[in-house]
Amino acid sequence: MMSRIWPIGVAVITDSLRRKVVYVVLAFAAMLALAIPSLPDYGLGVEGAVFREVALALVYVTGLVIALSLAANRIPAEFERRTVYNVLAKGVSRWEYLVGTWLGIFCVMAGTIAAFTVVEQVVGVVTYGDPMWQLWQGSLAVLLEMGVVTAFAASVSTMAGPVVVVTATLAVVFAGHSRSTLVGGEGALALSPFYPSFDAFNVVNPVAHGSGVPMLYLLSMIVVFVGFVGLFLSVGVLILSRKDL
Amino acid sequence: MMDENIAAIRVQGAQKTFKAPGRPLKVAVDDVSISVQPATIHGLLGPNGAGKTTTLKMLIGLVRPTAGVFEVLGLDSTRPGGRRELGFLPEQPYFPMNLTAIQAMRFYARLTGVPSRDIDDDSAALLSRVGLEDAARTELAKFSRGMLQRLGIAQALFGNPRVVILDEPASGLDPVGQRDVRNLMLELRSDGVTVLLSSHQLSEVEAVCDRVSIVNRGRLAAEGDINTLLNVSGKTSVRVAGLESLPDAALVLAEDIALTGGMLVFSIPTGATRAVVDAIDESGGTIVSVMPKRDSLEDYFSRLLAMTSREAMPS
Repeated sequence: MMSRIWPIGVAVITDSLRRKVVYVVLAFAAMLALAIPSLPDYGLGVEGAVFREVALALVYVTGLVIALSLAANRIPAEFERRTVYNVLAKGVSRWEYLVGTWLGIFCVMAGTIAAFTVVEQVVGVVTYGDPMWQLWQGSLAVLLEMGVVTAFAASVSTMAGPVVVVTATLAVVFAGHSRSTLVGGEGALALSPFYPSFDAFNVVNPVAHGSGVPMLYLLSMIVVFVGFVGLFLSVGVLILSRKDL
Repeated sequence: MMDENIAAIRVQGAQKTFKAPGRPLKVAVDDVSISVQPATIHGLLGPNGAGKTTTLKMLIGLVRPTAGVFEVLGLDSTRPGGRRELGFLPEQPYFPMNLTAIQAMRFYARLTGVPSRDIDDDSAALLSRVGLEDAARTELAKFSRGMLQRLGIAQALFGNPRVVILDEPASGLDPVGQRDVRNLMLELRSDGVTVLLSSHQLSEVEAVCDRVSIVNRGRLAAEGDINTLLNVSGKTSVRVAGLESLPDAALVLAEDIALTGGMLVFSIPTGATRAVVDAIDESGGTIVSVMPKRDSLEDYFSRLLAMTSREAMPS
């Protein structure tokens, strides 16, 4: 099983690195990170918190751009160019193809987010003399959320083109962070437990302004990640298994 | 060892209908059955849009059949596990164009399950087998169509498949390339591999196929041994040298008389062969050949398609 999933993932990683989009996004984000210290001055002791908050926001945007650019295009392009024929004819299951594609994009994102976090740490050390290790917790949360977003985008891309995928994914990201707005009022409060929320991945406050995220919370975040990814990829597999190529 | 009673490929009652909202139901394939015996080359023929590629796609699980049984070596080939002994060359194979040939081959080798230690050797051997050994490190974006076709054939042969499906393998190849592909198919057959060949090139099919299935308008129009299909029952073809015209005794029996390469070529009723040969001997001609009359595949194909198309027309 992994012997078929992993080569598909590696192909996605290799292809992504050749396309240079990752480098462009990373370079742009790094430039922004370097510019954070030039933000207007805050009171003593607050600069580090502001830096961490903006840094996490940059990680988030970087992750989202990579997730959308890779997940929205990869599968529709493979269908259109028919490169998927050779893959599936080798006895690869459609679910293995989808999971392999997701895994490849997730690995690209993990590498990019890790590289970006290192850049932010370096800027933090140089500017504030603080390596800001808790940034890694924030980056992990972003990576997990982007893994979920990628799973959703990849699933939608099995039946729709890039424009629809990007629109639908941004809508889900917005909805995922709007539980309190959309069902927080008294009228819809009872729906709250069923609302598919990404709030579990929002650790900006403890990372930027607090003392980090407890280990138990990080573990529970991974459980939420696995649940969402499993759900979205299952739906994607269901759609893909019924598709005529 | 393969059970000799099991067909290498079995398609039984294949049917595919496409539904689109607001459009009439489109029947692309209707009750097509094909049985391919082990270690043979079976041709799948038909005009554009006849349902050949849809049938092949159903066989390898790319298109979901509406009905039918699809088996490769006795296993359900619509499921991934049933395709592990299968090599497939799609019509106009597409590859990730930013890879080199050897990188693409390594990728397909891994998917096929070739052990890591054998990947490089097997990839190089297959590239060499299709004449691409000098282009192993060339980016596929720089490949000609013929080279991509050769690469498609090479990747289909990973893992020594026992069944190979080739959809238009000679497409885009020059005459030498076409000859190489024909020889490759014959080699595969002699190695015990079963080949299902879908092709528009009737000369290629006639040269290599043991049996053919002809599909028209989504239905099976004919299936059988290629010699049986092409032999014209009750007629014999005769070639004669050394005569400018046939003697009267032969002339009254001869049909389709033609002068080709200094020889008279004509057909006669098989029962009159002795009399015609004697008449030609007596008039000083030399009999070059006497053989059962055989249609060209082109003629047979055209006639069959015209017939099945007429039958399909509403009265």
